[in-house]
Amino acid sequence: MKLLVCIKQVPDLESRFKPNAGGTWFDEADLAFRMNEYDEYAVEQAVQLREQLGDSAELTVLSIGPDRVVEAIKKALAMGADKAVHVQDQAVADKDPWQIASVIAAHARGQNYDLIFTGMQSQDRGSAQVGVALAEQLGIACTTTIVGFACEGGSITVKRELEGGLKGVVRLKTPALVTCQLGLNTPRYPTLPNIMKAKKKEIAAIPVTELLQEGALADTVSFHPPAKKGGGVVLEGEVGALVDQVIGILKEKTAVLR
Amino acid sequence: MSYTTELTDYMGFQGLLSDEEKLVRETGRKFVNDEVLPIIEEHAQKETFPTHLIRKMGELGFYGPNLPEKYGCAGLSNVAYGLLMYELERGDSGLRSFASVQGSLVMYPIYAYGSDSQKDFWLPKLATGEKIGCFGLTEPDFGSNPSGMRTTAVREAGGKWRINGTKMWITNGSVADVAVVWARTEEGIRGFLVEKGTPGFSAPQMHGKWSLRASVTSELIFEDVIVDEEKSLLPNVTGLKGPLGCLTQARYGIAWGVLGAADICYQTALEYALSRIQFDKPIASYQLQQKKLAEMVTEITKGQLLVMQLGRLKDQGTYTPAQVSMAKMNNVNVAINICRTARTILGANGIMGEYPIMRHANNLEAVYTYEGTHDMHLLIIGEKITGIAAYR
Repeated sequence: MKLLVCIKQVPDLESRFKPNAGGTWFDEADLAFRMNEYDEYAVEQAVQLREQLGDSAELTVLSIGPDRVVEAIKKALAMGADKAVHVQDQAVADKDPWQIASVIAAHARGQNYDLIFTGMQSQDRGSAQVGVALAEQLGIACTTTIVGFACEGGSITVKRELEGGLKGVVRLKTPALVTCQLGLNTPRYPTLPNIMKAKKKEIAAIPVTELLQEGALADTVSFHPPAKKGGGVVLEGEVGALVDQVIGILKEKTAVLR
Repeated sequence: MSYTTELTDYMGFQGLLSDEEKLVRETGRKFVNDEVLPIIEEHAQKETFPTHLIRKMGELGFYGPNLPEKYGCAGLSNVAYGLLMYELERGDSGLRSFASVQGSLVMYPIYAYGSDSQKDFWLPKLATGEKIGCFGLTEPDFGSNPSGMRTTAVREAGGKWRINGTKMWITNGSVADVAVVWARTEEGIRGFLVEKGTPGFSAPQMHGKWSLRASVTSELIFEDVIVDEEKSLLPNVTGLKGPLGCLTQARYGIAWGVLGAADICYQTALEYALSRIQFDKPIASYQLQQKKLAEMVTEITKGQLLVMQLGRLKDQGTYTPAQVSMAKMNNVNVAINICRTARTILGANGIMGEYPIMRHANNLEAVYTYEGTHDMHLLIIGEKITGIAAYR
């Protein structure tokens, strides 16, 4: 069984973000980057399946981005992926989810992966589209936001979390793609010996220009922090008049009073 | 309080790290955030060591990680090892001490001075944490001057040795399965592996510390302890250079580790200063508090660059013990001052266990003195630059 897990390296969400010079994405200076949290669930599930299937399976990890994303790739290798594809792209943030999916699809078409894992969404852009668009472009089955996974006799059964705590169970034909949600598993720590052993695993570097054929369907027009809130309204005067004013405001601006 | 995911890196020293070194640090930090910070305060208050973490740290490869893969170790660079110590000590100096002793003071001498059969037997078990070790050099009357030690080992008939004496201030002593013990012999100072349960060997725990409370400290008592030469004697070293070689390894880790303690105290103080309002403004607005914070981050940054260069020298094999002395001496000193200053920024809250400050400040009192006191390291540096040994 050939397995692929797609990961993205994202900035530490505790960072202080500021817009870049073009005002369409954040400035990357001074940011620390790590593997997208949802992708960690995807890697963990893929590694568990790789372990379950033994050497009849092979797990490839793929990431798109500049050289810094190799750190995230090496983390996935240290967690248990067999080999890696680094799609080299200095301008990954300028591509829309459709283009990102098309780059992965261009690689995946020749590889005949049976199962592809992605995170539910990235923590920075948060479009939650890449996995779904990738499955669409490959013409394979797709299930999103999985919180349970089982593979028995070549059949994939996943559990999905629906609104209001309801659960759905979906059986999938392979080839298939699943996007992974919080609660699916607890990602393992890369152990120190495995971090060092991962140095010997193959990382194939492919320039994005060799894979990119699609144009963008959507452009990010602007990226900016929320407008600062006003300083609030200070009411002054007699108590009775103040109460009338408060009631007036509540009626006018909220649904508390009608 | 929130646990930040990033360490303080004012001068961008992480740009000097390899991907592997960054990932080692990330594993260390996540482990401390998940497993250590939620429980360590209670252990320190109750004067107990979190023994449930011993095997977990072994599974992650935290013991002797710069030793070769052949023994189940990771084969890390010395910088990666240092970063791990930084993250562990950000949790607690007691936890870092446990790992330092296991790796640098027990596994290292077995690796460097032991026979092949001693290495093959002990190192894989110590690497996983299945077995715990301790290091017996210091005695009640001989701390800075270990060459005066009174513990003796006498060769007996039939390939045996008889050990007598007392060791003190021994981290992990009461929980250790094996003690690396240094004793005076006719040939000079030699090292012995003494297993728990050997008749005449006991290791009572020392209680009532106000420092390193989440760490086991013990005496080791040897009363006519008979050991087998082949199993016990470390064959490949004679003289004080044996134990001193181990201490150089451990001091190197301490020089990195204490910055982790300083870092969490600095970050706590910074966060507190930004949110604590007095006279209608965050106290971070006041120049006196800014001066403290600016000096704290400056000293952390200088300390990071010092150990970074030391680590690269160690990776090249060109470092000297006197350079390690400077790093240990300086970094412990700045760390303890940063913790104390952080305490003043937190005011009364600074003394409470809700914040990590007093625990770290108190821990560093022990770290200031162990593994070569601050004063002895000054004299080692003094000897290096003048050629005159002032301590004799």
